[in-house]
Amino acid sequence: MGAQTAYTSENPCISAKSLICGTLVTTDLARVRHMLEKGFGLECVRAGPDLLVARDRQHRSGENKAGEPFWVLEIRQKDTVPVAQEMLNHWGMAAPNQAAVDEAYKNVNERKQEFGIVRVQKPRFRHGSYACYFVDVDSNWWELEYRAPEITYEALRAKGDLHKD
Amino acid sequence: MSHEPLVKNETLSHGTIECSDLVVTRRFLTEFLGMKIHRPVPEAQYIHKGGPWSVVCVCVEGGEAKEQIPDNRFKISVGSKEEVRQAHDEALRLREQYGIRQVNDLVESDVMVSFQLQDLNRTWWEITTADERYYGQLFERGDIA
Repeated sequence: MGAQTAYTSENPCISAKSLICGTLVTTDLARVRHMLEKGFGLECVRAGPDLLVARDRQHRSGENKAGEPFWVLEIRQKDTVPVAQEMLNHWGMAAPNQAAVDEAYKNVNERKQEFGIVRVQKPRFRHGSYACYFVDVDSNWWELEYRAPEITYEALRAKGDLHKD
Repeated sequence: MSHEPLVKNETLSHGTIECSDLVVTRRFLTEFLGMKIHRPVPEAQYIHKGGPWSVVCVCVEGGEAKEQIPDNRFKISVGSKEEVRQAHDEALRLREQYGIRQVNDLVESDVMVSFQLQDLNRTWWEITTADERYYGQLFERGDIA
């Protein structure tokens, strides 16, 4: 019998197909769209009067990632942000290398007002990854993270590391 | 016109939630929600279910995960409207067993069925028929007028 590579259930109550979406709140859809498109390079579309959806670029027909699974962020506009978010409720993005994290730190610092970013944390190593955090005016936390190939999320899943309880 | 973004972001990679007890939380995530879990580090376990995306579940040492609202939630796609209805029934039936704090009513429309629940750590989840195809159509359609 092979080693266990993930904690799973043989017969879960819900037959989930996929984790598909995360949701967050803004007080200004136009501002957050500017940040996501021009700042973070995501594709955005206005799906309702108070709703923006975002995903990685290149998933449209004929583009590089067409047909590959994608994750969606739904951003809902409200008059206020009812519950301020904190570091442990952040949204993560992958950087291609360490230099890209340093460059993003510099670029965002220089133009943070334009993008509605109120705080930029200096890059640092944490748990083997190199990352910096941005906090936007709606209190949403964004992480840009470089992980060495052996500790990417996919690599860790493939290794099946199961730390003992 | 193409543009160079401020941040060289290769992909959206993860979201993050808090929990008070990794083992008890894992039981809910695997047995109830049907997620797959890895625990590569002592203080956190990674949740995934297909695709390249993970939710990192961080244990709040000696504390409680903070209260969230339904506007800050994660959506799980299932295969049919009937599966959403069954999941709703199961959430009500097993509420006590898994420490589920709230189960909201089913919301049904022509295009989808869904409901939201708040788990033992005050995190909100939505079980929905909305899937990649649904979202793909939103992106193809473009901005509403």
